[in-house]
Amino acid sequence: MNETGSPFAPDERTDLGLHGREMLLDARHIGVAFKVEGGEVEGVRDVSFQLHKHETIALVGESGSGKSVTARAVMGLLGKRATVAKRTSIKLAGEEVMDFSEQRRRRMRGNQVSMIFQEPMSSLNPIYTVGAQIVEVIRLHNRVSRGEAMKRATTLLEEVQIEDPEARVRSYPHQLSGGQRQRVMIAMALANRPDVLIADEPTTALDVTVQAQILNLIRDLQERYGMAVILITHDLTIVRHFSDYVYVMRDGEVKEHGETAVLFDKPRHAYTQHLMASEPKGVALPLAAKTPIVLEGRQVHVSFTLRHGGFFKPEYSELHAVDHLDIQVHRDETLGLVGESGSGKTTFGQALIGLLKANSGEIYFDGVPLHDKSRRQLRPFRSRIQIVFQDPYASLNPRMSIRQIIEEGLIVNAIGKDRRERGDRVRQALRDAGLPDNILNRFPHEFSGGQRQRIAIARAIALDPEFILLDEPTSALDLSVQAQIIDLLRKLQDEKGLSYLFISHDLKVVRALCHRVMVMQHGKVVEQGPVKDVLNNPKTDYTRRLVRAAFEIAA
Amino acid sequence: MTDLRVPAERTVAPAPGREPAPEPATGRLAGGESYRVLVWRRFRRSVSGMVGLVLVAALLIMAIFADFWAPVDPKASDVGFSPPVKVSFFAADGSFSPVPFVYPIIESEELDPVTFQPLTGPDYDSPLDVGLFVKGYPYELFGVIPADIHFFAARGNQPVHFLGTDKLGRDLLSRGIIGSRISLMIALIVVTITTVVGTSVGITSGYLGGRFDAWVQRFVDFVLAFPQLPLYLALTTLIPITAPSNVFIAFVIAVLAALLWAQLSREVRGKTLALARIEYVRAAMAVGAGDGRIIFRHVLPNVISHVIVAVTIAIPTVVLLESFLGFLGFAVKPPLISWGLMLQDTGTFSVIGSYPWILSPVVFVLITVFAFNALGDGLRDAVDPY
Repeated sequence: MNETGSPFAPDERTDLGLHGREMLLDARHIGVAFKVEGGEVEGVRDVSFQLHKHETIALVGESGSGKSVTARAVMGLLGKRATVAKRTSIKLAGEEVMDFSEQRRRRMRGNQVSMIFQEPMSSLNPIYTVGAQIVEVIRLHNRVSRGEAMKRATTLLEEVQIEDPEARVRSYPHQLSGGQRQRVMIAMALANRPDVLIADEPTTALDVTVQAQILNLIRDLQERYGMAVILITHDLTIVRHFSDYVYVMRDGEVKEHGETAVLFDKPRHAYTQHLMASEPKGVALPLAAKTPIVLEGRQVHVSFTLRHGGFFKPEYSELHAVDHLDIQVHRDETLGLVGESGSGKTTFGQALIGLLKANSGEIYFDGVPLHDKSRRQLRPFRSRIQIVFQDPYASLNPRMSIRQIIEEGLIVNAIGKDRRERGDRVRQALRDAGLPDNILNRFPHEFSGGQRQRIAIARAIALDPEFILLDEPTSALDLSVQAQIIDLLRKLQDEKGLSYLFISHDLKVVRALCHRVMVMQHGKVVEQGPVKDVLNNPKTDYTRRLVRAAFEIAA
Repeated sequence: MTDLRVPAERTVAPAPGREPAPEPATGRLAGGESYRVLVWRRFRRSVSGMVGLVLVAALLIMAIFADFWAPVDPKASDVGFSPPVKVSFFAADGSFSPVPFVYPIIESEELDPVTFQPLTGPDYDSPLDVGLFVKGYPYELFGVIPADIHFFAARGNQPVHFLGTDKLGRDLLSRGIIGSRISLMIALIVVTITTVVGTSVGITSGYLGGRFDAWVQRFVDFVLAFPQLPLYLALTTLIPITAPSNVFIAFVIAVLAALLWAQLSREVRGKTLALARIEYVRAAMAVGAGDGRIIFRHVLPNVISHVIVAVTIAIPTVVLLESFLGFLGFAVKPPLISWGLMLQDTGTFSVIGSYPWILSPVVFVLITVFAFNALGDGLRDAVDPY
């Protein structure tokens, strides 16, 4: 039947003989098309998968591969612009979901099949307590009194291991941390003991150390209640540790599927092999014995004043985002700055390059003090110090062409004597960043995330800088693109003798790119040293947790 | 539902084919489309927006060539309160005429027994032929080119009143058409001033931030807190009655502008605050761009879409204000003509009851307000195509 798909992805699962458990969900030929300007785009094409009781299957793929759309098609949660193909058949415990009435579907959602989403911040309603929201879910599907439902909500919070559940049911979402909110979402999803739990990137928005806890929680609950789980993720480490069976998706099709161990052991489809190979790997290029210091910070301190209390009785407190830190970046070296969100690493980086005023401390670039210079006096240093931001969607002005974006730094720094010479430099920078040089008149929205990040890198290197601050340049990108950007950064460092300060929370990327690493927590440096020593032999508890979360996840 | 966006995007980006292609795709990218093309494509899909655009264009053409469209000299007087005439091909006795004609309204010898006003009625003895592009009263096109051709009027420079006349016997249609000039001019000038002032204050305040921003915003609060209507009236009474009508208009424009810039400046400031923290602005700072460059190259182009929409919505507000103030006698003084001034005649109930056609300037105001609002609606949806 499978005319279009890959030879490694037949409609039926390949392990039926092995498991032989009762089939819970049998989806065949799911197709979803979206109306767009001037026609239709197929988001998902001919996707078939099967889910047995008590097991976890994973849908893996990069953004745009159609994995979320597939899950939403099962739930019947697609938007207005989507149409489901006629061939689609989804059997839930033998019943055809496609034939369900809207009412029957509502009964299915949250009851037989429930879903947790990526973003726990926006999935909870901020004006209701978490208890009220769980109660609502329970009472939608069951005839129980409010008090009874509240009791159940408390038990659920206990099950998802939230401390002090009696108090927490009365909390509002903003009073909880990201991890706790995701636990509440799980509690809501489990409220009616569903047969199937769909987890759509459940940990992507969370800090690395919290990710492991959430995934373990899902696994524990699955064992306790015998649920089947569909795990949607782009993270291969998670797939390897938490799923029994894997479907690899790309461009809306399943390219290959198989048992997790077998698939990881012997990926057959070229794309799967490519995906497996794109885990960040390699190490930083070896350094010459001793290079001079290019950027130095001494006792840099940045604090923010927070105001508590009301208008009449204000109380102020200081938040020390960067607490008297020293830093030295050597020429040709990559220094990694690692920590969870809120550890102050981005603030530190921006203070060092003068995008943010430090409260106190001294900063030297190439031996010249920067801390006593005004913004105007800093101008001559701007072309030598550059920055690449995390989000390639926010860092390029949508109204400017690629040429204008890259040329801007050349114009303000009076580099290149006329338009033609500047144009040549722009083209050279694009080529260096691995882009074709005929895109000068295009606009940022025409490019993918990875291409945009390359444009941002081209903007930085067009000025021939000596030092670049890389503020999480890979964390908004797909895995295979990440690896390419890391290769590019390494190559540029080699060719142009660049020094990097690399800010990241992802130790895998840090291992692949950095020579030395500093670990930050709450504005302080808790550990630093050569990358090998710190990652292989972490001395503090915090670093150990980070390392475990990054490399073995099942902590 | 964020990922619904993804498939649309993916039509552009990914590389088809079985092999995982290296990431920088090139030739397959859609052709470079500028911002304007994208906005226009989206704007065309909005029906109300297109209707608004056509109407606005028609209004502007009407105002620019007002004398050409006006059938009668707007200042000449004829029979007072004469009703609209009907254009017809058939005479009163049923005979057909190949040329359309009207029966002009004249005063008869008889008097109304109650009001003792002379009775008016059609003069069946002397029909007037009407036609396109006929010679009429002389005027100067663009204020310099002498001309006397009119789009649709009676032949032989005879007065004909398609919408009737006012108390002094002046043609309502012609005055409505000519009045559009002053009404639209006031609106456009006021909106231009408020846009320039509002945008620059908003951007400066939002971009500089800090103490300056706090003080500017308190001042904006102060301006917004004025009770506007009494203030208009108080300020306009400051103008000496003897002042020439040009001075009077200038003053009215100044008063309106002084009170209307604040709202826009607040909106622009909000936008700027958000933009000043966005990463491409920080990236521009990092390459060494100065404040001026950041404001003009990065902030302004990104708030301008919002400003354009605000402008199209502000124009009808000013047109309405003008008609309202004009009705109260505070906006425009004769001999200038504006819609508001024309509506002054509708002040008494008995007049509206007996001569409803003098409400026709309301139709001009209605169409203008609708046209600009519809245009603004269409633009609002189209300006952010990304």
